[in-house]
Amino acid sequence: MMYFMFLFGFCFVFWMVGVSCNPSPYYGVLSLILGAASGCGVLVSVGGSFVSLVLFLIYLGGMLVIFAYSAALVAEPYPIGWGSLWGVVYMVVYVLVIIGLVVIGHWLWGTEGFGHITVDAGGLCVVRLDFSGVSWFYYLGNVIFLIAGWGLLLTLFVVLELVRGLSRGVLRAI
Amino acid sequence: MNPHASMIITLSLIMGPLITISSNHWILAWTGLEISTLAITPLIAKQHHPRAIEATIKYFLTQATASTLILSSSIINAWTLGQWDITQMSNNTSCAILTTALAIKLGLAPFHFWLPEVLQGTSTTTALILTTWQKLAPLSLLVMTTQSLNTPLLLLLGLMSTLVGGWGGLNQPQLRKIMAFSSIAHLGWMITIITFSPKLMLLTFYTYITMTTAMFLMIKLLETNKISMMMTSWTKLPTLNTIMILILMSLAGLPPLTGFMPKWLILQELTKQHMFIIATMMALLSLLSLFFYLRISYCATITLPPNSTNYLQQWRHKTNQKPYLAPMATLSITLLPITPTLLTLL
Repeated sequence: MMYFMFLFGFCFVFWMVGVSCNPSPYYGVLSLILGAASGCGVLVSVGGSFVSLVLFLIYLGGMLVIFAYSAALVAEPYPIGWGSLWGVVYMVVYVLVIIGLVVIGHWLWGTEGFGHITVDAGGLCVVRLDFSGVSWFYYLGNVIFLIAGWGLLLTLFVVLELVRGLSRGVLRAI
Repeated sequence: MNPHASMIITLSLIMGPLITISSNHWILAWTGLEISTLAITPLIAKQHHPRAIEATIKYFLTQATASTLILSSSIINAWTLGQWDITQMSNNTSCAILTTALAIKLGLAPFHFWLPEVLQGTSTTTALILTTWQKLAPLSLLVMTTQSLNTPLLLLLGLMSTLVGGWGGLNQPQLRKIMAFSSIAHLGWMITIITFSPKLMLLTFYTYITMTTAMFLMIKLLETNKISMMMTSWTKLPTLNTIMILILMSLAGLPPLTGFMPKWLILQELTKQHMFIIATMMALLSLLSLFFYLRISYCATITLPPNSTNYLQQWRHKTNQKPYLAPMATLSITLLPITPTLLTLL
């Protein structure tokens, strides 16, 4: 789970880098969506589960779709991607210069140190109580994990078998 | 059916009730019930005619409702008591909801309406699985929670089931519907005795499985589904026809056959608990079931339809064997003398 926390934070920064250095709005929109999702994960990790859900629903589901699609509508027909020269240059400059300055500044002049401080824990890559329950599913709860996975596989095959036939997608009577 | 799908569905059908039986936690028990419901749904709909699809939908909706009620009762119990153990279900509301849910799952009256229609809409083999294997999981949950169950409610359900099982089967010409009502009546007997003696309930259940399996295998072997067809189907298997009347009388509970054993022991246990009126009513209501078992045996074995005098056995164009019929029929006829042995086995 600690790796999970680290992943949320890393993905947030990574996709935000993608937003800022995108050569074309298509990729910018993609990284904005993924970055906002990772940001919601970061929010969950510091204890703001409700705020994270609200962010996910309202921000991603509402504003982002409308704003991003209308921004993408005015894009160019041949968009420049991240693999091109300019994309790489933008990304390197952004990571080394801007983010490097922020990290060094926090290290030298910051007061709190690295890591989260939540209501019941603190430190780098902490996992709070409700989130850590997911990891128990893989350890002590391995039997029910297998059975639940088997049940889902069974549901897939049952549904496919029931709707197999002429009119796919309905429980056919012929 | 696709072989991979068929393998997964058959494996889940076997594993579902086994998961429920071996569970201590309500969530695992519920998971096993759901797996068994899901796994048998495409088997009911295997022939894909409208009646089978209707039977599938009826089965799925009733079983899903019952599973939801089981989940709700276990959550209420966990909310008030803080633990999910199946054997320690002290909350009375939870027990009442659980009893209702398991009655829906088993097809006890007044929740029995789905059983005859589902059994009629599907093939004989699937009807056999529905009446025997699928009853295993709910009855095991009842056995596990028997010390906290509400006896008057169970007695009411049992008495109503015996009445409905006997009364409803009187006007049925279709064999699978008759077996459905027979199942309802037998489950009524089982439910009546469960809080007094779970051992007797298990004995009733095992003998019921033996007799029902023997009857269904006989129906499948004769390839008949209606009483009218049974009048002329004895020519397919003249020797087994005489066994069939014995299986039917065993289902009815007549001595000296096996079916008498559970009824006798249940009536004795009810009398010991001073439940005289209930015992008398159960015995009288089984007479209704006896009537339709007698009618089947009358049409199949005792009388001949109007035809010429010398009857010949039918030509056998294909060999049609059911290997399990022999031990099941033998057990369902001859187990009464070893009743003390069977009681100690449980």
